[in-house]
Formats: sequence, C-alpha cells, structure tokens
Amino acid sequence: RCPEPHDRTKFDNNYAVRYTKKALWPPFGGSDGARLNRKLIHSKFCQTKYFKPGNDESFYTSVAFSHSNTTLFIGTFEGDVRPVNLILGAEEEMLVQCHESYISRIELSPSDQLMLTSCTWHRPLSCMFKYDVNSWSKVYSFSEDSHVEFSRTAPYNQIIGTKMETARIYDAETGKKVLTLKPTMSNNYTKNRATFSPTDELVLSDGVLWDVSSGKSIHKFDKLNQALSGVFHPNGLEILSNTEVWDLRTFHLLRTLPALDKCDLHFTKSGDVLYSVSFEIESEDEVTYESSYNTMDATNYSSIATIDVKRNIYDLALANNGFQLALVENVGQFESVNESSVRIYDIGRHRHDEDEEAVDDEEPLDGD
Amino acid sequence: MSTHQYVVTAHKPTAVTSCVTGNFTSPTDLNLILAKNNRLEFYVVTPEGLRPLKEICIYGKVCVMKFFRPKTEKKDLLFILTARYNTMILEAIGEGDNLEIKTKAHGNVADKIGKPSESGIIAIIDPESRAIGLRLYDGLFKIIPLENCGELKATSIRMEEIQIQDMEFLHGCPSPTVILIHHDHNGRHIKTHEISLKDKEFVKTPWKQDNIDAEASLIIPVPEPFGGAIIVGQETILYHDGTNYVAVTPPVIRQSTMSCYARVDSNGARYMLGDMSGRLFLLLLEHEEKMDGLQVVKDLKVEVLGEVSIPECITYLDNGVVFIGSRLGDSQLIKLNIKPDSKTNSYISVMETFTNLAPITDMVVVDLEKQGQAQLVTCSGAFKEGSLRIIRNGIGIQEHATIDLQGIKGMWPLKMGPSKEFDNTLVLSFVQQTRVLSLNGDEVSETEIVGFQSDCQSFFCGNVNHNQVLQITSVSARLVSTDSKQLIHEWKPPTEKNISVVACNKLQVLCATGSDLYYLEIGDKIIDQKAHAVLEYEVACLDVSLLDTGTEKASIAAVGLWTDISARILKLPSLDELNKEFLGGEIIPRSILVTCFDGINYLLCALGDGSMYYFNLNKETGILSEKKKVTLGTQPTVLRTFGSSTNSTNVFACSDRPTVIYSSNHKLVFSNVNLKEVNHMCSLHAEAYPDSLALSNDNTMTFGTIDEIQKLHIRTVPLGESPRRIAYQETSQTFGVITMRLDVMKASGLQPARNSASTLSTNTSSSAATMFKGAVTAPALDIGQETEIHNLLVVDQHTFEVHHCHQLMPSEYALSLVSARLGDDPRTYYIVGTALVNPEESEPKAGRIVVFLFEESKLTQVSEKEIKGACYCLIEFNGKLLAAINSTVRLFEWTTERELRLECSHFNNIIALFLKAKGDFILVGDLMRSMTLLQYKTMEGNFEEIARDFHPNWMTAVEIIDDDTFLGGENSYNLFVCQKDSAASDEDRQQMIECGQFHVGDMVNVFRHGSLTMQHVFETSVPTQGCILFGTVSGSIGLVTQVPSEFYDFLLALQRNLVTAIKSVGKIEHSFWRSFSTDTKTEPCENFIDGDLIESFLDLPRDTMQRVSVGLQRDASGSGTKQEVTVDELIKIVEDLTRIH
Repeated sequence: RCPEPHDRTKFDNNYAVRYTKKALWPPFGGSDGARLNRKLIHSKFCQTKYFKPGNDESFYTSVAFSHSNTTLFIGTFEGDVRPVNLILGAEEEMLVQCHESYISRIELSPSDQLMLTSCTWHRPLSCMFKYDVNSWSKVYSFSEDSHVEFSRTAPYNQIIGTKMETARIYDAETGKKVLTLKPTMSNNYTKNRATFSPTDELVLSDGVLWDVSSGKSIHKFDKLNQALSGVFHPNGLEILSNTEVWDLRTFHLLRTLPALDKCDLHFTKSGDVLYSVSFEIESEDEVTYESSYNTMDATNYSSIATIDVKRNIYDLALANNGFQLALVENVGQFESVNESSVRIYDIGRHRHDEDEEAVDDEEPLDGD
Repeated sequence: MSTHQYVVTAHKPTAVTSCVTGNFTSPTDLNLILAKNNRLEFYVVTPEGLRPLKEICIYGKVCVMKFFRPKTEKKDLLFILTARYNTMILEAIGEGDNLEIKTKAHGNVADKIGKPSESGIIAIIDPESRAIGLRLYDGLFKIIPLENCGELKATSIRMEEIQIQDMEFLHGCPSPTVILIHHDHNGRHIKTHEISLKDKEFVKTPWKQDNIDAEASLIIPVPEPFGGAIIVGQETILYHDGTNYVAVTPPVIRQSTMSCYARVDSNGARYMLGDMSGRLFLLLLEHEEKMDGLQVVKDLKVEVLGEVSIPECITYLDNGVVFIGSRLGDSQLIKLNIKPDSKTNSYISVMETFTNLAPITDMVVVDLEKQGQAQLVTCSGAFKEGSLRIIRNGIGIQEHATIDLQGIKGMWPLKMGPSKEFDNTLVLSFVQQTRVLSLNGDEVSETEIVGFQSDCQSFFCGNVNHNQVLQITSVSARLVSTDSKQLIHEWKPPTEKNISVVACNKLQVLCATGSDLYYLEIGDKIIDQKAHAVLEYEVACLDVSLLDTGTEKASIAAVGLWTDISARILKLPSLDELNKEFLGGEIIPRSILVTCFDGINYLLCALGDGSMYYFNLNKETGILSEKKKVTLGTQPTVLRTFGSSTNSTNVFACSDRPTVIYSSNHKLVFSNVNLKEVNHMCSLHAEAYPDSLALSNDNTMTFGTIDEIQKLHIRTVPLGESPRRIAYQETSQTFGVITMRLDVMKASGLQPARNSASTLSTNTSSSAATMFKGAVTAPALDIGQETEIHNLLVVDQHTFEVHHCHQLMPSEYALSLVSARLGDDPRTYYIVGTALVNPEESEPKAGRIVVFLFEESKLTQVSEKEIKGACYCLIEFNGKLLAAINSTVRLFEWTTERELRLECSHFNNIIALFLKAKGDFILVGDLMRSMTLLQYKTMEGNFEEIARDFHPNWMTAVEIIDDDTFLGGENSYNLFVCQKDSAASDEDRQQMIECGQFHVGDMVNVFRHGSLTMQHVFETSVPTQGCILFGTVSGSIGLVTQVPSEFYDFLLALQRNLVTAIKSVGKIEHSFWRSFSTDTKTEPCENFIDGDLIESFLDLPRDTMQRVSVGLQRDASGSGTKQEVTVDELIKIVEDLTRIH
C-alpha cells in the first residue's frame, strides 16, 4: 500500500504559519488562506458595548447599523427608533417615532440619508424616513407593505415592498409604485419577503423569480418549506431558500443545508460569510426564540461556529466594515420581557480575561 | 502635516511570473517575453544569447501571458490578462527602434458581482485559436470567442465544478474542449467539457475520470498525433486521451510538487517539469504505432535533469537552451547537456543569471560607511534561493591594493618600453617632485625615467604619438622616448612665466601661463608651437579632449577663466573664441571637460565649491545649451574621463564625495562611489590590475576596479534558506537575521534538507525544548516529512559571514526581531519574538520573547519571557520593549534583574501584526481592522486609543509619516494614508480620516524611513519632504515622499497631460489602474501622484514633451503669481524628481 500523501498545508491552519507565508504567496499565504482567515475571524466574538432600554421604553425588537458604521439604530416595542452614536457610546438626542407597534426591521440606505422601517400590525406597516438637519422626518408610508428593502445597486433609487404574496417596486424619489409582481397562484409562504438580486435585474418573491425589466416571472421554485421564499446569495449564482440552495441559472437544487432551517440570513459585505439566526417560532400559546446564532463560510457552506448568548435573539445586524455584530437580546416571554438589551460584539476578537475595556453587564450604556 | 504623496518605483520588480517563447517580432525571430508584475520585457534569442528589444509597462499586474497564433497569422500574438480582469491581445509592429507594441484587441471581463476564485485566475487559449477560456469567479467559466478581434467580450457559462485546480484546452477537437481537475469532498477528478461557441454553452462531457491522484494539480495538454492530456500529481503521472490511459508512479517524483512545465518538442513527445524545490525533470512519452497506423502513448518516463532556481515558469527556447523564470530566486538561462556532469549528475549548465530581489520580506536602511549614503539590506528570496541583498545607490570600487603615500598631486599611467597593451608605469606628482613607479606583475617598485625632470611637480604625463611620452612641469614640456627614456625635445614658454595649467591628448597640447595660452602639437621628436593667444583673464582650467573616437585631433578646446568666472569654447588650431558662457557667482571653475555620452556632446565645468555646471555642446558652433547645475561635493572637484568595460565614456569627479557621471537613456546620471574622498584618479590597465583605476586621497593610493555601472548596485549574500526578518546592531557591527530552513525526518531523526547558512555556521547554540514549560512537543513526523526550523543568525556587517547561529525549538516559529537598548542597561540586545505552532490551533496560544546578547563573537541568551500567543512584532519604545502578541499590544519594562516585566497592554485588535512608534505614539496595523493610533501615557503607565481607521483594510505594512499622518499597505495591493484630526471634536478625532489612496499593484511587505541617495546634494527644483522606502513581493523597491499642495497640483496637471499623451498598452485607463480597489470597493486614486508616469515624461520625444508642457503653470519663486513652465524647466523638474531615488 502506498503511503498517504503528506498534507503539506496542514500547518496552514495556524495563523502564525500563514503569516510567514503571506510575504511569499500573497495575499493570504496560500490558496486556503482566505478561507482559514474567515474561520479564524468569524468564530470569535467579544462583547464591547451594551445598551438597555430607557425608562420610556419597554424592550428592544430590532437593530441596524448605519453604513458609516458610526450609528446604531435600535427599534423598540413601542414603535420608535433610537439612534445611538457608537463611537462616543452616547445616544443621539432625538428618538424617531416611526410606528405604533413594535419595529420588526430597520434598513439604512447606503448614503445613510434614508431609512426604511417596518412594524407588525398598525398601519402604515412600513415607512421611509429622510435625514435632514439633525433629524429624521417621514417621507413616505407604505401602508400595506409588511417588509420593504432598498435596491442593491447605485443609485439605490428603488424600494421593493411585500404585501402577502405580492411584490411592489417603488421609486425612492417619488414614492410612486412602478411595478407590481403578483403570482398567478400563490405559494403562501408565511414570511414572504420580496427581494432584489445583487444586480437589481431580478426579484425573488413568493418563491418566484421575476425579471424586473419585463415584469414577467421566469421560474417558480419548488416549495419545500412553509415560511421562507428565499434570498439571493451575493455571489449572484445561487438562491438560498430556507434549507435549499438553488442554482440561479439552471434552477437545479445544488445542496440542502439543514442548519439554515427557519433562519434569517445576513451576509457580510464581501459576501463570503453567512450569519444565520432562527426567527421566532409561533406555536399555539407561545412564541419561542433561539438563543444562538451560526456563522458559515458562504463560499462552500462549511459551518464555522455556533455561538450561544443565553438570551433570546430578536434581531441580528452586521456592521458594514465587518468589525462588529449587534444582537437584540431579551430575557423572558414575548410581551413580558423582563430584561432587554442590544449588545455589540467585536468580530474576530476573543474576550481577554485581563481586558479592561470589556464591558460588564453591570455597566450598560443607556439613555438615563 | 502633509497629505500629498509622490510614489515612485526606485527599483523595478524582478520576479518573473510568466515567460513565453514564440515568433512575435517577426515570423523568423525567436522571442522570449518575460512578465514581471506590471512590466513586460521583450527579448530576441540570438546565438550570442538574449538581446533585449523593448520593455513596456502595463497598467495592471500581469496574471496570465500566453502566445497564440490564429490560422491566418504568420507570427504569434500575445494575450494578457491582468489581476483586475483587463484582457488584451498585443501584436508587434515594426522593428529596431521603431518596434511598437500594438493593442489589437482589449476589454475588461470583470463581472459586477461574483466571488473571485480564491485559488487564483486561470486563462487558457484553444490550440486552434478559436476561443479564450477564463476561470475568474467560482462556478463560472468565461469564454471569449476569437473570431473577430476588437473589443474582447466574455460570456459566462455556469460550471458545476467549483474548486478547480487546473484547466486546459485539449488539442485536436472539432469544437473547443476543456479538460479540468476539480476537487470535491471525495477527492480530485478530471472532466472534459465540449463548448458550443454558437450557444456559448457546455454541450457535452466527452470523457471524465474520477478519483485521480489526491494532489493532482497540473494538466499538460498533448498535441496531435497523440492528443489527450497528462495529469501530474504528487505521486503519479497519468496520461489519458479519453479511451486509453497510462499511469506511472516514478520514485523520482516522490516528495515533489510540480509547479510548472514546458513543452520541448512540437509533437508533444517531451516535456520539462519543474518542482517547488527547484528540481527539473524530463518527461518522455513513449509511443507505439498500432495496426491501423494510430500513434498511441505506451509509457511515461521521468528523469531528473538537475537543479535550477525554484521555477515559477519554464520555457524552452532552442537548441537545448531553457529559460527558468523564478519568483523566489534569480531567474536563469540554462543549457541542457547531452551527458551529465560526472560529479553532480546534472544535465544542466547555467548560462546566465538574472538578479531578483523578490520576495522582499524585510529590509533595513543602514549607513555602514558613515558617509551620509545609506544602503538597503533586504531579506530576499525563499527556501534554497534565500539571500541577503545589499542595495546601494551608486557604484562600488573593489579595492585590490593600497599604498600609503602622502600628498599626491597627480597620477598618470604610462606604457614604457615595448609594452603596447598594458600600462607598466605610474607617474606620481608631488609638490616639487615627480616620482615614477614601475608595475611588474603585482609588484610595485620605484624607478626613474631619465628624460623626466623629477625635482618638479608634473602637471601632465602621458603616452603621445610616435612612441613618445610627454611630461609637462611648471617649467617646460618634455618629450621622452618610451624606449630609451631619454629626453628628445623640450618646449619652454617664450616668456619667463611658469606654466600654470595644461591639457593634452595624444597629439595636441594646451599650455597656459597666466592669461597666455599656447597651442602645441606633438610631432616625431618635436613639439611644435602652432598658436598663441592672450585671453582676457588668467586661465583656471583647460581641456582638449577628443569628442569623436575616430579622430586624432580635437577641433575645439574648453577654457575656464578666473575673474569673470566664464567658460569659453575656442576653435583649434586658431584659438579663436567660438563662445563664451558666464557661469555666475564668485566661485572659480577648477576643472573643465568636453565629453560625449550616448552620442550627445557635453561641456562639464566643476567649480571650487564642489558644484558643477553642465551643458549640451554644439562642437561646430561652440554653443552651449540646457545649462544645469548639480552639487557633487563641498570641495574643489577634478573631472577625469575613464573607460568602463562597456566601452562607453564615464567621468569620474574627484572630490570629497566622489561621483561617477555617466549617461543612461540619454540622461546624465550621477552615481556616488563608495569611497570617502578622492583627490586624483586615473585609469590603469596594468597586467596585474586590468581595467582598473588608481585613486588617491591625502594619505593613500588605491588600485581598484569599478563595479558594473548601474544606478542601483546590488550585492548578493546567498543563505540557502529563507530569511524572514533583519535587524541592524551598530554596537556589535552585525546584522541579526531570522531564517527558516527545512529539515527532513530521516530514520536517524531530523536532518537539514541541504546545507545552508544555519547549518554551515561554526558557532551554534539552540533552545532546548525542555527549558520552557509552555513548550508543545514537536509533532510526530513520518519519515520523509519536512518541517520548518527557525534560527537567529548573527552576520558580520562587513564580510556578511555568519558569526553565530541559534536554533529555536522544534515547531517554534521566529516571527519578530529587534536590536534594542532597554532601560539603564548599557548593552544592546537582539530580541526575538516567537510562537509555538500547533496545527490543531487556529492561532498560537504560547510563545516566547527571548533576549540575546552578542559580545566577543558569542551569542548568549540573557533572558526569556513566556507569552500567551505569537509575537508578530517587536520594537524599541523609549527604552522599553513593545510587542504585538496575538490580539494585544504589550509594553515590557527591563528590570535590573534583566527580566522583562509587563507594564501595560492594549486589547482592541483581531491580530496586531505591525507596530511603529514615534515619541509617545504607537501605530498598530491589524490583520483586518486597518490602523489604530495609541498614545502611551507616561504618568498613568497605560495606553490610550487616540484614533482608529474604521475601514476594513487587511494590513501588510504600516508606517508613520509624521505626527498626524500614517501610511498603510493592504493586501489588495493598495496604499492609503490616514490622518488624525487633532482639531476635531471628540467624536471625529477618534476616527482617522482616509485622506489618500493609491493602487501600487504589488504587495508591500515592509516600509522603512530612509533614502538611498545622498541628501541635499543637488540644487533641486522639487520641494519633496521625507522619504519612506518600501519593498514588495515582486522584488521592487518603491518610495513615498511628501509634496506640498501647490506642487501636488502642478504634478497632477502634468500627470493629466501625460495620461492623454501616452498611449496605454492594452488601452487600460490610467485612472483605473491607480484607483484604490479591494473586493468590496473601488475608489479613485486620491492625493497620490504616480511618479512612474511622471518620470516617463523624460522618455518622450521632444515634440510630445512640448505638447505635454502646454498649459502647465507653476509659482516657482513663491511670489504668488503662476508662470507658464517651459519644456526645459519641465525636464529639469522631472529630472530632479528622478534624483530623489
């Protein structure tokens, strides 16, 4: 029997080895370098900041970073959005009163000048706000749309909204509806969220792929789950629909990823790492939340890490520069949350025992 | 505070990343083309060797370069793909000086979205030139049809195979067919895809083979008549043509990872393979003819040819001559011999070696000779090609003999007696004395020439026509026979005045007595006075050098005068004045010279203060033009011409800063010489000292040879192992060098794979694993397995001999090195930072900081400190030691017990890789989180985070420009500058502002403050400030300097004009090339000037220069009003810019 070939790259797993090789084989010290760096970075998290609700707020429900990474937008149960300065750790002055029920989603436009918010029940379900002279003012309401998103490419002048199985595209300048994409027969996904492809040429809504320029449907994917219609992979080649990975060109099923069942997906800006967190499960008498999130290499879907924060995760947001992660962490049952917080974690950093700057739970940065 | 940077290449990249052979410049020329990062070099192969034809710059890093020949073409076309996905097809037009590289087709094939393949870019061309295939992004195959050239457009085909190792087009297929090796969780497989060019689709898979060699990485497509392909793995070599296959497991390829190949025969029967350890193999396809006449491959034979530089690419030229392109060592031109060398068993003889600095992993700037002229010592190359390179601007003189002689006032070589070829006599002139030395072999003895007047100072001695020697003293000119050594004839000035200045060639003599000038000619046994003139003032210097090598007589002479400080051109023989040029100022000219460089005539005139004017000279009219000034030294300068090995003219300027003046690319270059002071010099071509120089200063005379004349002079010290870090220690006159060598597990234990610097050192020591409680045991190795052994070498600064080698523990990586003085301890230590590497861990959990003392040629360990991670960087910080350890920055004090004690730490990094300090400020470069500025608070004894760049930059090097400005290099080959804003509010202050960005196109591994040129030598028109040198992966050395904003605006305007005037090969926009680009963003270049583009101005023809200068305005006087810049002013500005490197 021939001896097994030696694995010459076995030591590359250790960063110090890749560091010495990087000067010879740029940019990462070997062809596996980028993958191993992702594994190194997205497996370690260190809590650095901690925000808890003020006296006039009951608990937090959602979170988003500004594209400049300097401001955090926290959605509350009351329907407000609270902007917080991340560098100083102090709150901005004004609370933005957005909705009359809890904020389920916040998205900032790449210029940080526009903000989309959605809530769960009181109409308008979604709104667009504009930043002008130190304050946010409401520009448009999308009364029926339970979910709204900006388009993906410059000049980011379109918004796609979801009303049940119907997707509606609006002009962000005028707020006018420019296109409606309604399937002839609905898949009835419970959490349909219409979304633009990375090039804005396609839309995925209700499990149907649409061509934006013609307004026609291209393909209907097999329905293999009840909730999620799916999202586009930033590589432009695949669609992730709950646990299924579909080829965007051939519509073949490429693989199944059980770990992504009933998860909200968040890609890093470079599109090579995927963060997933289970959304709430509504059973007959209670709503349950997961207390852990997962990181996965988005280039080959290998799992990187599962991190348990021991509190219910209501929302997850990634900073644009990839430095930080924000989680809405609550303790207790829904509507009887007895401890709510938004926590900021540095990505790629271990908490040091001697780390003086690590923030203890006892010293939250709050608005009081 | 400077925010505007000028960045320029001081030494071009030298790593060869790609080489191809073909008929490019004509159907009959055999050309070799080399790609070195963003440069292409074109050669023609001649029986005498490689002749360079042209060198061009591409606005992009060349990733793939391939020749192909469409059926309709008689010569090859060149396809190039850059790292940022620009493609081009180039064609050679014209020949000789008119050779032009024409862009036949071009286009950018990047996708807006898509994940670039982490295993790299692959580009292949169909052997029948029907299409180009590209694999740029995972899961996509791009096809560029080649039917009609013009814009190159790619169409993407979805490809199921994601992880592709290699890909090629097969020969002899009716439709273009690719073969690829791909990887999945089951192993590696080969697969073929036939492409429909019409539908731009894979239409079928003609054949495939699953589960081949687990390390198969290289495909060699085999041309007809065999067809099919060879798949090279780590253990096996497989030939497969879809129906038949042959697999062999030759023992000679075990332990080899083949990285490149070259086809030897056009019928595809023989190939050369190169492996990662630098071995070259011959692969032979043995074939048989079947009954039906079909040629079938029967067997594969592999033979070791010998060892070469670790190859990156190989190309077979002709007649057994092969070019080995190397990235990790010097490239080579080799010859394959029919019979092996009886001693080495190698079939290879090296014909030529091409110096390569790449990859530069570290470097130091040191002034070893203390002459204000720094040199750069780099850690270059890797593995067996590892070396130190000493790079200096200027020219080295190799000293061969030195004689103590005081007060030499002049030196001349003579050929006495029958000697025709070699100088055998050297005349030395002193105050009131002339002495003659006889050179007999390498023996020097004093002798006498009876015809000479020896109680006088000589102004000139030399062989002249008719086997005569001329001696000129203050009294007379004496003609002496070379055979009898007797006086033949003597000429005295007609007045009583003494001769004060003379100039001679073999036939003509000029003698001045005050303001009287006599023109004499040498005849057979006679000195003939031909003319006499009385000049306006006393003569200060004279010259009658020949401008044309073919003539015997000069038609003009140059004179420098006292009092009016003028240079005059006189016509010979009449001594009529042709032209007069006032030099201005009050410093008298001391030495004047007419000379011809590269076909251009110059007048050089050196003054008493060490400065020199130079002009272009019209030898018919005597008109001087393009006056320029340069400062060569601080004392009177003497100019002397000498021949160099290349037969071109060179001028030696003797002064307190000796300089060699020569011409390169029709520009004068002033190169320093590595000698402190030279008062006089002459060429000397003696039997024992051929092609030499005799040089004298106040106390000694030296015979030496001059190095090959080039601007940057590189000396190589081979190590035979990988150098990683270098530090200079002045107190011990040594360099500390961290190296890595590979040891192999043998039955008897670990053995070095080959001899290298660390194994050859006579003094050795090692860190025993037991000394350290945190040590991990060395991983169990199988027989034949390799492991890295890290060492600290102490190297002599003069001889570069290894004084001592300290070997670290098994699996201990030495990552950082510093020479430092700590606390009140007067000793200077070498301090090494290490990591204990366990492959199971994603980053080290333990390491050491080890303090060594090198004293009395012995290295001893003084102290060691256990740390919880890898020490990536060490610097001295105000008498303390600052270390980057995993994610932390830690400050250690040096206690009186000579131990390191932790004082304080900073934690806010992913991995802190780089540290630089200035005053109390510390700049930290992170793995991915760009740069952070810390301040050490002396009172509190802790660090405060002052400012941070919040952009995701993966750092490769950092440097502090000034208190507020910071320079970073990141791994998408960009540079950027960040500023801290002291005036801003708290919030803004903590965010560094990115205020400059530039794409270098090469990975910067190291920044160092320092300059390779003598500072403040030139009267310069360019207000640059500071100088940071950088070394790159491709072996180039660049520099970044700061320019004030007005000058930046001027250069930006010049750059804009140049962009429109200079056609870019491949039609890539300059703005695209220099734009800051990473995988998440592309932004325009900002606040950086591309010095390489600016300096290319000097290569333009005059009329283009004129066009470029139109509209450029500058406020040179600082008066506030801008004035139009003339072409000549512009040339001067750009020339001055070239002199900063």
